[in-house]
Amino acid sequence: MSSWLDYTINGLIVGNVYALVAVGLALIFGVSRLINFAQGSIYLVGAYIGWVAVVQLHTPLPLTIIVVAVAAALVGLIIERFGLRPLQNSARIAPLLATIGISFVLDQIVMLTFSPNPRALPSQLPDVRFQVGNGTIGPLDLLIAGVGITSALLLFVFLRYSKLGWAVRATAQDRDAAMQMGVDVNRVNQAVFGIAAALGGVSGMLVGMYYNQIDTAMSLQATLKGVVAEVVGGAGNVPGAVVGSLLLGLVESYGVAVFGTSYRNLFAFLLLVLVLVLRPNGLFASARQAPPEPLTGTFIAPSRPVRIPRWALAVAVGGFAILPLFPVSFYVLQTLINAWLLGMLALSLTLVAGTIGQVSLGHAALLAIGAYTSALLSLSLSVPVGLAVIAGGLMSAALGTTLISPSFRLRGHYVSIATLAIGEIVSLVILNWEGVTRGPIGISGIPPLSLFGYDLISASSVYWFSLAVMIVLALLQGRLLTSHLGRSFRAIRDDDIAARAYGLSLNRYKSLAFIFGGFAAGVSGAIAAHLYSYINHETFNTQQSILALTVVILGGLGNVVGAVVGSVALVGLPEVFRIAAEYRILIYGIVLLLLVRFRPQGLLGTI
Amino acid sequence: MSNIDRRTLVKGSLATMMAGAAFSRTAFAQSSEPILLGVSGPLTGPNAQYGTQWKQGFDLALDEIHAAGGINGRKLAYNFEDSQSDPRQSVAIAQKFVSDSRIVMELGDFSSPASMAASPIYQRGGLVQFGFTNSHPDFTKGGDFMWSTSVSQADEQPLLAQYAVKRLGLKKLAVLHLNTDWGRTSRDYFVKAAKEYGAEVAITEGYIAEERDFRSTLVRVRDASPDGLILISYYSDGALIARQARQVGLKQTICAASSVYSPKFLELGGEAVEDVHLGTRYFPEDPRPEVKKFIAGFKAKYSGQEPDAFNAYAYDAMNMAAAVVRIGGTDRRAIRDAFTKVRDVSSVIFGAATFDVETRRVKGAMNAELVVRKGQFALWDGKPT
Repeated sequence: MSSWLDYTINGLIVGNVYALVAVGLALIFGVSRLINFAQGSIYLVGAYIGWVAVVQLHTPLPLTIIVVAVAAALVGLIIERFGLRPLQNSARIAPLLATIGISFVLDQIVMLTFSPNPRALPSQLPDVRFQVGNGTIGPLDLLIAGVGITSALLLFVFLRYSKLGWAVRATAQDRDAAMQMGVDVNRVNQAVFGIAAALGGVSGMLVGMYYNQIDTAMSLQATLKGVVAEVVGGAGNVPGAVVGSLLLGLVESYGVAVFGTSYRNLFAFLLLVLVLVLRPNGLFASARQAPPEPLTGTFIAPSRPVRIPRWALAVAVGGFAILPLFPVSFYVLQTLINAWLLGMLALSLTLVAGTIGQVSLGHAALLAIGAYTSALLSLSLSVPVGLAVIAGGLMSAALGTTLISPSFRLRGHYVSIATLAIGEIVSLVILNWEGVTRGPIGISGIPPLSLFGYDLISASSVYWFSLAVMIVLALLQGRLLTSHLGRSFRAIRDDDIAARAYGLSLNRYKSLAFIFGGFAAGVSGAIAAHLYSYINHETFNTQQSILALTVVILGGLGNVVGAVVGSVALVGLPEVFRIAAEYRILIYGIVLLLLVRFRPQGLLGTI
Repeated sequence: MSNIDRRTLVKGSLATMMAGAAFSRTAFAQSSEPILLGVSGPLTGPNAQYGTQWKQGFDLALDEIHAAGGINGRKLAYNFEDSQSDPRQSVAIAQKFVSDSRIVMELGDFSSPASMAASPIYQRGGLVQFGFTNSHPDFTKGGDFMWSTSVSQADEQPLLAQYAVKRLGLKKLAVLHLNTDWGRTSRDYFVKAAKEYGAEVAITEGYIAEERDFRSTLVRVRDASPDGLILISYYSDGALIARQARQVGLKQTICAASSVYSPKFLELGGEAVEDVHLGTRYFPEDPRPEVKKFIAGFKAKYSGQEPDAFNAYAYDAMNMAAAVVRIGGTDRRAIRDAFTKVRDVSSVIFGAATFDVETRRVKGAMNAELVVRKGQFALWDGKPT
């Protein structure tokens, strides 16, 4: 029984760590209705500034904290001024994408400056430990708890009782009204970003000291856990973020206690999905909170889609179709094969995110389901590869739609968070369900693509095959968009209340969109599995989901041609910059930022 | 990118793109250009540090090879393409290398998914894929163009089990392992060997690579009351587990797989890794001349920095590649055949290394039994801690 006390204490300690990130996220969400994916990167920056202060400048702890807080706040102010303020009047998805781009840039700058090797960040507190239960806690545990809870309390007091705090809350509730009442909205935003960044930076430093270890890969994990904690607590609710973090820590700890270590993150994301389904606004959302804004135009930038004449499309398709007949290198063909596979995924995402308005951050899960289905069918049951690929698509459609369906009643950003969680859950189930998926060992020796008994092995035959599949899927989707069904989809996206008033069953139409999209993504994953011959649970990861989202935004939401153009661009871009090696991701991030800034409706516009 | 100037690279890739393989083969056949190896590995992304370590090892080996007159008078160089250890990118890089006739052999990739996804392309393209960190048991089963100097876990784990059970006398073990193909395979080999030596494995716990918090896992371990902890970890997570084990009050003997062997393990673990036992494939104080030469050269080139295992793997791989190219020349198929002929190449990890033609791996890795004493790795003196 005494072990339960230990599990509880451990859960609270790690919950403290999550709270440090979640509080900053909650503050920014409260004001800007923005999930700041760069918060983890500021945390990273804070950790490395802390390292410079401690290891090279030998600052004492109070001074270290001040240095880190000020420097991180400065980074936050720069992000707000140059990264996000220009996007104020653009589509709501633009700042979200911008924070993703900013996180790429920050992570890479830190990596280039400090090298990716992990570093030790020594704790500046005496190493005494107090016995609690059978374990111990130390001064740093207490400091982290202190910083987390104190900052939450201070913020609460600040928001409730100070003038600037009122301005922050007024801005959060209704930006335009606040502006009319004379609130300097930009100053409010600046203040919030500064505070959140200072908190984020200090938390990175403290967590670095806690583990005596910092490395450049720590930012994504911090963001993920922070987002989960924040949403569980109620997005935008600062004390809620603290409680959500502690709850997350406890659930993880008890999960380990009962089921073992490898299930740990599975429970974190299941908790998130459960909370979203039962209490979509989080556990501590106040009843008086303004209703979620209608989706009308939420994700859609005002633009007229670029019409590409049919003959031009036909010429382009023809050109790509005869490409392998010319002496191009296999490398070019392989790069384009990757683009066609990404294109199928982007078609799927542009349908659900663009046409029906359900932004998905977990689309890689659909790839994984298709890939595993097809690989296992062809390997274990000797199903012909052609049929197995189709089965992969069908399985993705069925399973993906079933998994995603509880989130159909969610709105706005919550849909993206739910899909992010479902993506992680699928990956963790693959890792743990060893009887079927072979767990961490992965599946090797997957047979190559074949059609009617002929193996498609050469780069050109795989190229033609994937191009053909993508074109068929694109034509079907183009047809779908011009049909009655497509118009119903767009009606739901533009105004779901009006659509419902017209008698459209939202869940049924959303299911239809996910079934169609799931099939395209599943086929893409299945082809990839046969192409790679080896897959494991990491082959299709969150980064792939984010890449797909970037593609469809680049191309223009809901735009079929745009999805393909975006895929070619974003598969090609990193290859073009390959020559710049270490600077590749940095350049990619900057390009993403510039696109979001200057062409938020995407290259070809939204349909 | 430091070994080839940009113009050569642009010229080369333009030539391949425009004219295809046939043209460029004639164009480069008689040139005095360096013999070019392709490297596919992570320079960015979550595994970026390993790519950086590879480069250090490669560059040191190349300095020595060139000082000794190169490959029959020609220089050896490599073209490092960043795959982020991502299968999508390693596959594209594989096509690039296969169709670039200047590339005579490929080294890498880092992780199993990235390497094995690219294997079919190398196999069909007839270009050797020389994986030197690929301990996945299926890697060399990809075909006769897949060769590896990575120590197979089938070789390594029984040595660790022997150290823990036979030499340290641990009878009841808890195994914590990274839940990847590597960690999982290693765990299975370890558990099998430990049982054969008569120990009981009370609990095994797999954790994912991004995990930072192990306190709850360690409570589970404590409740299984083992007398030794076995870490199948990399140095960064190994150090984390050791620290947290001491913090939650676990005082058992800790044994770790050789993959924690790195100065970083000591730096990150601090006092918590004192008395940790580990086997290792190479050890700087090893009196063998090839090890001494490697350490001295590395410290001289990288301003006193201590090399670690991944530096050594890369260094050995480059030397092995040079030895193979010396026999096989620049013909890809001849290079493949040269792997079966090359004998007793001086190496840090294996001493005199020779490939087993059946498994396409090298057998007989060196094993030093170490313990951390006073913040340093030391040869174990046989006294229990």
